Order: sequence, then C-alpha cells, then structure tokens
Amino acid sequence: MDIRKIKKLIELIEESDIAEIEIHEGEESVRLSRYSASQHVISNSPAQAQQPQPIALAPASPQVPEEPPGHVLRSPMVGTFYRSPTPGAKSFVEIGSSVKVGDTLCIIEAMKILNQIEADKDGVISKILVDNAQPVEYNQPLFVIE
Amino acid sequence: MRFSVSLKRLLCLLADGNFHSGVDLATALGVSRTAVWNMMRELKELGLEFSAISGKGYCLSRPVELLDGQAIQKALSPATKPQIAEIEIHDELDSTNSRLMGLASSGSASAGTVCLAEYQTKGRGRVGRVWHTPFGGNICLSLLWRFEDFNAFSGLSLAVGVAIARALRTEGVPGVGLKWPNDILWRGSKLGGILLEVSGEAHGRYAVVIGIGLNVHIPSSRAGDIDQAWVDLDQVTAGHPPSRNRLIAGLLNELFLLLPDYPAQGLQSYIGEWRQWHCQAGQPAVLHLGGLAIRGVVSGVSDDGLLMMDCEEGGLRKFASGDLRLRTDA
Repeated sequence: MDIRKIKKLIELIEESDIAEIEIHEGEESVRLSRYSASQHVISNSPAQAQQPQPIALAPASPQVPEEPPGHVLRSPMVGTFYRSPTPGAKSFVEIGSSVKVGDTLCIIEAMKILNQIEADKDGVISKILVDNAQPVEYNQPLFVIE
Repeated sequence: MRFSVSLKRLLCLLADGNFHSGVDLATALGVSRTAVWNMMRELKELGLEFSAISGKGYCLSRPVELLDGQAIQKALSPATKPQIAEIEIHDELDSTNSRLMGLASSGSASAGTVCLAEYQTKGRGRVGRVWHTPFGGNICLSLLWRFEDFNAFSGLSLAVGVAIARALRTEGVPGVGLKWPNDILWRGSKLGGILLEVSGEAHGRYAVVIGIGLNVHIPSSRAGDIDQAWVDLDQVTAGHPPSRNRLIAGLLNELFLLLPDYPAQGLQSYIGEWRQWHCQAGQPAVLHLGGLAIRGVVSGVSDDGLLMMDCEEGGLRKFASGDLRLRTDA
C-alpha cells in the first residue's frame, strides 16, 4: 500500500472521532488505531506522524499495535481516581518513582469499593495522566511506566 | 497507644453504669485516688461521659457494653461458625480495615478473619472522610474474604448494604433505609456506612476487606465534629439499642450468608431487595464528582448497581462514583 495513502488515512482519522479503522485492498490490509495511548504519539509528535513507518504495515501482518514510548497502565473500571490512600496523605507514586510489579499506584473508587491498582510492569513512572479525584473511564490511560 | 491496661480495667469496673466510689476503684486498680481521677479524664477524652458526685463516686452517663468474643460466638448461627477463621478484638486500632488489608497483603490472614475495635483513631469513610468512633460507642467491624476473579465481587458493596439492613431489621431496629451506594440511613440521617477495599493477590485472586461502621451511641460532646446529619441506634430505638455483641453476630450471620454464594448469585440476587430499602428514589439531589456538582433527581439504581440520575443537563445518566447529597432548593 502506498505510503502517501497511509499518511492521508492518518490525517483523516485525526480529523474524525474514529478510534480504529481497517482497510483491505486486495491482499493488503492496514489497520490504524488511535486508542488513547497512541494519541500521544500522533498528536504530540508531528515528526512521527510524517513518518508513518511505525504505524504502516506490511502486507499479511494482521495488526499494527501502536506502542507509545513506555508501558501504559489503564483503568480496569469506571470510577474515581485517587493518588493517595487518604486525602492529604502522601501520593502512592510521583513522576520519577521507581515501581515494581505489584506496587500500588493509585486507588479507583466505584460504588464505595476502593480498588488498589497495581503496577503490572517494573520501571519508572514517566507520566501521570489523570488528576487526583477525577472520574475515569474504563480503559483510560492512567500512568506511563518506562 | 492511648489506651492502657489499667484504663481498660477501670472501664470494665464502670461499664455497668452504676456509681463506684473513688476509694473502691483506687483499691481495685492498686493506684491512688488522684490517679483514678486522671484516668477518668482520659476516659472523657475518649468520648465516655460520666458524673462524679462527692460521697457517691463515679458513674458513666450510660452503661457500656464492651466487645466480648464469647458473647459474639454464642449468638452466631451454626452456619456462620465454621466459616469464621478468627475474631480479633482490639481496644484501639487506626482502622479495622487497614488492619485486615495489612494482614491480607502479608499473607497472614485467612478468608473469614473478622476484626473489631472499640475505638478507631483513623476510621475512614469513602476515601478519607473521618468516621467518628468514641470508645465503645460504635460498631467497627471488618471482614476479610477472597474472590477468585475480579468479576466475582462486582456490585458487592450494594449487596453488603442489604445484608446490614436485614441484620438491623432482625435485631428490631425500625425504619432503616439505604442511600446509594450503601449508606445506612434512618429518617434521612446517617446511621452507618460501608467501605470495601480490594487488592490483587497472587494467581489472579483478590482480597476484599468489608468494613462496616454503625453508630451505637455518640455522645453529644462529639456531635460537633460531624459534618452531616447523623443518628445513632440509641436515638433510633428510643434509648433501647440492641446488644452490641449480638448485633455484631447478626451482621456476621448475614454476611456469611451472602459471601460464599456471591460469585454465583451476583448482585442480581440482591438488587431487587436493595431497591426496596432505597429511601432516596425521586428525590432532588446533587452528585459531587471530581469538582463537578451534577444536579438532578435520583432515579434509582441500574441492575449492575450504578446510580441512575435524571440530570438537569444530559437527562438520565449512570454514575459509578461520586458523593450524593439531597437538595432542599428544588
């Protein structure tokens, strides 16, 4: 598939609300996804948008995951996001904190169930994507671990 | 630790609510009468009011039924007893929920462990709202349970509300209602609250700590600290509250009826009854959520336990979290 075509597709998808699009042309197919984490790649770094190689896809490969730099931890549920165990208490993590699998990063409260959300990867917190006490949606990115 | 052994012994002597002379108390405790007087002041700081009359001695303003493991055991149903791993009774804890969360994370507590405290220094409502507990004046009960997967306890906080309402009814407490998601109300005032805390464990399991707080007797001297309309069992029952230990057993009986089958039954087995206990349907309210104040009318709860509110902006919407307050300006 022509790289210009893919570039055009990316532009189209950026102007729309489309989260994911898959196009087949003969034996070739391309699938573009802009799920939250990938939004940062597309909207925040135009340089990458102009070089669609990481997104574009070789024929026969069924899917192109658009990995942002680092690992994105997403909300497993709808609820309210809390960065500390109690208001005024120290936050579980800050940007730059080293974390290990199983460390509690935040609490999400839904229907008065406080769910401890744990790191699913070792690394350093490079982004905290939600403010304290804000509502979050299912699958919403919460942290980036690098 | 503010609560010493001798203070506890003094309280046990006074718990009957009768007068005890300073001399008798001092002799029983092996301390001076001045020491007794100082200890009485400590009890007052813990929320226990008393009168001191010269020639008669000291008398608590009301008898205190202290937590008693044997009395609780005696009132447990035959089905509940084998499911209880242990009942811990503490004079003082930061919070019974924190205690069990700590035990769960260190792997040193079995499902079915129960934790009770006479007095909590850091009891919590929903994320940090302080839950006030004068010594012996509340039920602070937490229970550890484990579930095999995340979906197995979906909506459990509402089902626990039903269990508590049932237990209160069984103990003859009249007129109790539920507020979403699980506050226990009586005539619009808060009688109790529930807070569940969840952490993941190895092999995809989840440790769930169910925390229940019920006001039994809050002295008026403490009332000023509380930022919302509250009520205690003393008032609800016109001064004849059920036995604290028996009510605890009643709560455990209902909880252990609920928990083993919950993964199979789910909220759908309880949502109908939850709606019968619901006491705010059709009321104008405001939901505080992440700095927003969303105005509307409480419509009900969805089958999966979400609050349904008919909002002034956006019509009927569902919410998983937020702090609901009734409005009087409608």
